[in-house]
Amino acid sequence: MLLSRRATLQALTAAVLATPVVARSADPFRIGTVLSVTGPAAFLGQDMKDGAQLAVEQINLSGGIDGREVEWIFHDAQSETQRAINDTRKLLTSDRVDIIVGGGSMSGIALAMSAMCEQAKVPFISTEGAAGIVAPVAQHRWSFKSTVDDDLAMQRLADYFDKRGIQRIALLADTSGFGQSATEQLRAVASARGLSLTALSFSPGDTDLVPQLTAAREAKAQAIICWTVTPAGLVFLKQAQQLALHEQATLIHGYGFVANRYMELAGNAADPLLLLSQKFVVGDELPDNDPVRQPILALDKAFRERWNRAPNQFVAQTYDAVQMARTALAQGGKDREKVRQALEAIHGLRLASGVFDFSPDRHAGLSKQNLVLVSWRGGRFHLADYT
Amino acid sequence: MADRTVLLQLLFSGFGTGGVYALVAVGFSVVYKSTGAVNFAQGEWTMLGGMTTATLAALHLPPALACMIAVPLVGLVGLMSERLAVAPLRIPTPMAITLLTIGIGLATRGAAMLTLGKQPMGYDGFSGNAVVQIAGIRVPAQTLWVLAIAAGFLLLAQLFFSRSVPGKALRALAADRDAAALVGIEPGRGVMWCFALGAFAGGLAGAIVTPLTFISYDQGAALGFKGFSAAILGGLGSLPGAALGGIVLGVAEALAAGTLSSQFKDAIAFAILLLVLFLRPNGLLGRADTSRL
Repeated sequence: MLLSRRATLQALTAAVLATPVVARSADPFRIGTVLSVTGPAAFLGQDMKDGAQLAVEQINLSGGIDGREVEWIFHDAQSETQRAINDTRKLLTSDRVDIIVGGGSMSGIALAMSAMCEQAKVPFISTEGAAGIVAPVAQHRWSFKSTVDDDLAMQRLADYFDKRGIQRIALLADTSGFGQSATEQLRAVASARGLSLTALSFSPGDTDLVPQLTAAREAKAQAIICWTVTPAGLVFLKQAQQLALHEQATLIHGYGFVANRYMELAGNAADPLLLLSQKFVVGDELPDNDPVRQPILALDKAFRERWNRAPNQFVAQTYDAVQMARTALAQGGKDREKVRQALEAIHGLRLASGVFDFSPDRHAGLSKQNLVLVSWRGGRFHLADYT
Repeated sequence: MADRTVLLQLLFSGFGTGGVYALVAVGFSVVYKSTGAVNFAQGEWTMLGGMTTATLAALHLPPALACMIAVPLVGLVGLMSERLAVAPLRIPTPMAITLLTIGIGLATRGAAMLTLGKQPMGYDGFSGNAVVQIAGIRVPAQTLWVLAIAAGFLLLAQLFFSRSVPGKALRALAADRDAAALVGIEPGRGVMWCFALGAFAGGLAGAIVTPLTFISYDQGAALGFKGFSAAILGGLGSLPGAALGGIVLGVAEALAAGTLSSQFKDAIAFAILLLVLFLRPNGLLGRADTSRL
């Protein structure tokens, strides 16, 4: 921890030395970040960290925020809530950060951090999914998130089903908070939009989904949705292929499964698959007038130059969150209440994950227009359904 | 008609999973027999078998060859673990060894993460992605491979312990350590080979199931837990018990998930486990053991 912080400081100092524009005497803005670079969430955490770091470096290279440099304090939560809580306490009490960006790469951690920031009255921008991180707003006045809400994701899917005349659907969600929240939301959306839903579940460590898939087949589902971030989603694809389910139903994965690695492992089992996704992975295929096309291409270029690899949507989540922090800090300065209000006032902010609109009633900034359906062909994602 | 095919589909799926549980359970049984300890590294060795095979297969080795290289390697890891960690113990009580295996497990997981990566891995099965039609249902060829290999390994293990001299020596050690030492069987050696055999069985399970399920470095604990349940169910220390326990657990899980709700799956598996332990505290095929004190 200490080491990574020292390394970060060194990197920042180097960046600062390279840009004499920054007035070093001004009290810097301190941004705290907690993500999981190791442990079960590690497969997301490294990309998320690199995205945030890139954003901070860019800010300091361009002269900081309002003449103040940004001091970035990073902690690896190691996918453990208890560790994340200790890290957050450190950020809030001894580091006295102006804002916290990033909620440990896991919804469970972000929920705990949200409560802590609420108590300490420090703005918190979560990069995790669960709706409960920011809702209801009355109890989460200080928390915001840069990800889409599940109810909107399900609405977006229902729109697609309407378009295709699909009425009978099945959902295989994992038993984690991520999957169960999706089940709840899809139930509500399905009953509101007249879809008949067969809801099934599996544990993230499951190695056999034939029973669930057989049940979905018996229910004559026209679309089968799988909701997980775990490799069990691969088992879903393989076994759906073995049972020839794609002849009967459209197979859909949620946004948690939009990862090149998973698609490569799935091989031709991914051919009939559609994935609900943010626009990031298909940035170059978006129409020219799409508001997020330019931010995506810019981030893609900058990330490749900095890290010599391609970014993904998790990079965009943290990168965007730091951009939001930048916008709010520029307006609110060192006054935390003003920063909080500046976040609530963000409207039409075009970033790589989508167009963000916060309000005093809604602290989740992405609408369903920011979601598309994509497919996987020839080693990359392609746009399959655009609003 | 539809119900019959559904049932058959679930049964096959349960047998496939059960075969894997059975192999992991054998690993638990062998180490338990020789040391009286529960080997918490067993699940990690299973994971290691899958990860190593997938890594080798990614180098364009034929899957079967990758498996034949990886599984003995895992056996070697088990052997080395025993030599480096368990053998130096001055007083090898079952509790001390059990605690040590937790450390061995953590070390194995960490090493796998650092050397083989954090990403999930998989490879095509021994017959590619072929699917076989049996009696109106579709079964992946790899499931049949799993069943055949698991059955073959269990049979060989049974023959080894009942017919061969080294097998009999290991059994003698399990029955009475001091008496076995008196007739010239070296206890330390026996424990070493049991660890190697346990790791081999676990590694084999991981290797053959990976084409069906994929594997990542953090899945070992879950596999170990299921294998341990199967071993307890069948009777810890009994080979036929391990086979039976694995199959019963796998089929119970599949039927529960397919006919009731998937959320009940684990609950039902453990309810069965509890029930068996109430009625037959030594497992389905376990024999009442004299205390090890």
